[in-house]
Amino acid sequence: MGTVEHIGRGAGRISGDLGDLIPSPRPRARAPGPPPKDPVRTAVRTFGEVLITLGLVVLLFVVYEVYWTDVISAGKQKDATTALDDRWNQEREEHFDGLGEGDGFAKMYIPAFGADYHFTIVEGTTGASLEIGPGHYTHTAYPGQTGNFSVAGHRVGKGAPFNDINLINSCDAVVVETADNWFVYRALPKGDEKAGWADGKGKEAQCKGVSVLGGPYENVVGQTIVPPTDGSVIAPVPGSDVVPSAGEQAALMTLTTCHPRFSDKERLIVHAVLVKQWQKDPGKPDWTPPELKETA
Amino acid sequence: MYGWIWNHLPGPFAVRLTLALAMVAGVVALLMFVVFPWAEPLLPFNNVTTPQ
Repeated sequence: MGTVEHIGRGAGRISGDLGDLIPSPRPRARAPGPPPKDPVRTAVRTFGEVLITLGLVVLLFVVYEVYWTDVISAGKQKDATTALDDRWNQEREEHFDGLGEGDGFAKMYIPAFGADYHFTIVEGTTGASLEIGPGHYTHTAYPGQTGNFSVAGHRVGKGAPFNDINLINSCDAVVVETADNWFVYRALPKGDEKAGWADGKGKEAQCKGVSVLGGPYENVVGQTIVPPTDGSVIAPVPGSDVVPSAGEQAALMTLTTCHPRFSDKERLIVHAVLVKQWQKDPGKPDWTPPELKETA
Repeated sequence: MYGWIWNHLPGPFAVRLTLALAMVAGVVALLMFVVFPWAEPLLPFNNVTTPQ
């Protein structure tokens, strides 16, 4: 290499001899160009390249988890909603038996999250079902029934339907639409609101029907954070083994998601109570309950 | 590593660039559609349920 360079330099001059007579002021230690193959250099550079690549892969995973799964889930949610609308158009009878894993059977609205917040609730809480939308715990009650209608939803990616359920305030409406009915659930008083509820927030117009529950429901509040192993939050009486007779059971709705966000250390739980039922009028298919307009 | 790949791609610059971009797209697709869906359940933030 060095020799070739030298000839090339000399050839460019008018007098080739002069180049040799006048010494270069700065003697070149090594010819420029690609350095000689040094195994250490190669190894270090390859190691660096691998690290940069792994960093990019991690970044790509964030994009996948936070955006790409949303896109996939939005498609699945749309399909489930279309399938549910078709089913509602065909059958007028409301029933929840014979639902398969991942089948949509109700729609939920949280007006406080905006008019565009609505999800089709599917049966089951497997990973595949929850990719479609909020999933119903199969052994819990169905909308409108007494007991505890419990639904799990993702908080990160996959449409993140329950991303903000920590922001549900007491008395905020969770409206559930089924084939024949609109059921209005409202979040129960939070732990620190229970004292003085009847004379305080409980007097507000939208809190009509929401009271501090008594009896076996004494400890049930609007929002709790529990360890992931605590399955009692979706029991008929949350947090208790007591199962009152059907006539004495309240009609509750429970939402579960992970907490804190991006972690599975705990579970965030929201409890709501059924306050109103609107029967659908087949003559007015476009009617929606007034609670849906409670957009903050 | 990347230099080695580049030097082993055939053809003029434009062809090399096209091939390199195609390889990047292939790796991204492999990650997005195979590796990440596989790895995801092993990570903590998808557990949103409590035991029934």
